[in-house]
Amino acid sequence: MSWLTRVMALLVRCLAAALPADRRGWAHALRAEAEQVPAGWARLAWLAGGVRLTALAARPRRLGYPVMFAVAAAGLAWSAWSGPPGDPAIVINRVDAVTVAVILAGLTWTVRRARGPAADARPARLVRAGGYLAVLALVLVKAAVERVADAPPNNLGGSALAWTGEIVFLAAMAGYAAVILAGTARRSAAACPDVVLGAVMGAAVGIGIYALGPLGFPLRFTGLWPARLYDAAMVLGAVAAGFAPVVAGLIASRRAGRAPRPADRIRSGATAGLCTGASAALVVSVLSTATIALLPHDAGLRDWAVGHIGQWTPAVGQVAPLVGTRLGYVAGNSAFAAGYLIVLLLSPLGGGGLGAWAGWTATRPRLAVGR
Amino acid sequence: VARRPGFSAQTLAVLAELCAAPAQWRHGYGIARDTGLKSGTLYPVLIRLADRGLVEARWEDEQPAGRPRRHLYRLSPDGLAAATQALAQARPAGAVRGGRVGASRRVAPGVTP
Repeated sequence: MSWLTRVMALLVRCLAAALPADRRGWAHALRAEAEQVPAGWARLAWLAGGVRLTALAARPRRLGYPVMFAVAAAGLAWSAWSGPPGDPAIVINRVDAVTVAVILAGLTWTVRRARGPAADARPARLVRAGGYLAVLALVLVKAAVERVADAPPNNLGGSALAWTGEIVFLAAMAGYAAVILAGTARRSAAACPDVVLGAVMGAAVGIGIYALGPLGFPLRFTGLWPARLYDAAMVLGAVAAGFAPVVAGLIASRRAGRAPRPADRIRSGATAGLCTGASAALVVSVLSTATIALLPHDAGLRDWAVGHIGQWTPAVGQVAPLVGTRLGYVAGNSAFAAGYLIVLLLSPLGGGGLGAWAGWTATRPRLAVGR
Repeated sequence: VARRPGFSAQTLAVLAELCAAPAQWRHGYGIARDTGLKSGTLYPVLIRLADRGLVEARWEDEQPAGRPRRHLYRLSPDGLAAATQALAQARPAGAVRGGRVGASRRVAPGVTP
């Protein structure tokens, strides 16, 4: 009992360190008071209340986010380190896991020094946490695809092209992390509402695009009406994807309408558009790559893909007429998954450009009616 | 003093306990013992009351031998007025009754309606 009491007291003391400065005294008060409580269960219960108090009062950002990040990074590392012996993809996956963890942690520290901690607004913190989780999830599911796609006899791992792709991928992830951190920092040059607006709209667009083509290809439907409905949905989806950065840019630039300089409105539009494009690319890449990663393990998903995508189905043992059976899985999985790298690179640029254009159009003087 | 609605039963119990001897400095364990509240409930209540300026807190002046200094609490003038008002409103409504909140029995003479 006494050792448990001592452990509890130690826990209160440690947790008190994570409290805001103006709250630490209360934790010390509770701990000092424990000396007056009769030893045994009563004192243990008193200190347990102290643990609860300090755990609840500790700023979640101070404890929760680093713990969440550490757990996610550990899970990523565990996944990257697992795999059959001789699989060349493991080397790439390990490099990915370590580099991304270092990039995310290092950029957090760097941006904190330059732009301050996360903005004191819940949406900004959610965008930051969600963005980080999405980046880690993308590395995780990409590793799962690589493990199968690069395994013998399909292995292309180790080639110069593969490593070049990895470098580009890691640079893209660093860029995404930098945008996420800089956009949600307390002293960010971008307005927090623009970043949040773009992130939310982009996530919605990303989910929509994924629903229309979970593996990156249009679906095929045999019935007339299902096919027509799907075609209509595709058109709507394409329009929505193209217009989302514009709409986000317009909303953001109007929100900044009171800004004295047109450049401010253009910058607001560009920020919202960039975040829309980046968020959409990240969401669709994570979801689609995860679906591709599931293909080898889920017969039902493979059957569905065969029925709805036909000859493009990237399933093992299925038809791969363009590149031959040996490379069928590589062409199917790895190349399709790698294709999202292009999306990850181009979507934010396109979104930023469209958003800036929307902001620019919002700054143009309107013709007076009747002239 | 503006009306402060929304005191919980636990907060009312603490207010009632501190009202029993408004000039006297109380320590946490004593309040917990007399109200029946656990530490994990009592201290958040005290923190909220202190944040609102209803409770004054200080450490013991001198370092006692063999034990750490204790944190002491009592109602501020605002706290006394707010507690009086809240307890007066709560008593007819039955908000302070039963169980551990029954500590309101010790509300000081002249404070209760």
